[in-house]
Amino acid sequence: MSTPICIAPIPFAALVEYWFGELAPNEEERMEEHLLACAKCSERLRDLAELGAGIGSAFRSGAVWAVISPAFVQQLKQEGLRLREYRVAPGGSVNCTISATDDAVVSRLQASLEGATRVDLVLLDEQGQGRLADIPFEPAAGEVLFCPSAASLRKLPAHTAMFRLLAVDEAGERPIGDYTFIHTPS
Amino acid sequence: MMTLERLRDGRLREPEKLASFVLGMCRMVVLETRRGTARREGLLRTYGEVPEAMDPPEQRGLDEAKLSSCLERLPERERSVLILGFYADKPADAVARELGLSAVNARVIRHRGLLKLRECMSTNDGHS
Repeated sequence: MSTPICIAPIPFAALVEYWFGELAPNEEERMEEHLLACAKCSERLRDLAELGAGIGSAFRSGAVWAVISPAFVQQLKQEGLRLREYRVAPGGSVNCTISATDDAVVSRLQASLEGATRVDLVLLDEQGQGRLADIPFEPAAGEVLFCPSAASLRKLPAHTAMFRLLAVDEAGERPIGDYTFIHTPS
Repeated sequence: MMTLERLRDGRLREPEKLASFVLGMCRMVVLETRRGTARREGLLRTYGEVPEAMDPPEQRGLDEAKLSSCLERLPERERSVLILGFYADKPADAVARELGLSAVNARVIRHRGLLKLRECMSTNDGHS
């Protein structure tokens, strides 16, 4: 079977915007007319859809971790996912675990983020140190939420991990808060 | 049906507009299906038990382990924007509001993340 060709392929960015319904109605109409007539671009759209489904599936199965938003957590709850949440104040600590019936764990690091332009999250544990640079955050939310990989959490032995939020700017960096998680396998 | 019969009989006025007409009809059907699904889900939320989460759509040979590994390699912002966008089917402006970004910035981050992800998936060193 020959590979379909297209003399005027739709730019990838436009395909993505079409997928998310971000195009103006007339642009969307033109796009659909092209897609109906063009096997090559339809195939590219199908590849994008498959990649998107894979991203959702990877998160749903707990294979990847991510910084998320309060609204996203609310949506996960509405979908019926069983979430275990830990809300920790700066300087605070919490005993934590993940059970077989939990779909995900959400860590909510309370923080004063007003005025911060860039925030880094540093992890310190017995294994060493890791730094997540320039994490997304909503200053008004007053917290940073992250969802560790449930699959990785389930494999962890009892241990203590400390997270540190840092505000970073041209003048340097300043700690926003330290948060200690005392993990016990369930 | 009436349109098809007229087309067969050669009585269709402005036949060049047929493609747009068919597309319009298809769009209406899809929108109606989406609305119907939203209505059913709303009724279930109000009156019924919450169904188990649906299985993700069938995938054509996507290497899930490799995809997870490639996702883990993305910068935090790119991973967050992609997950919020694709998992929750949210456009860039909604993702932007939730993550303290501008809509334009969210689009740029999403685009950059997708390009990196596709590149990582197409190479042989995607596994961690």
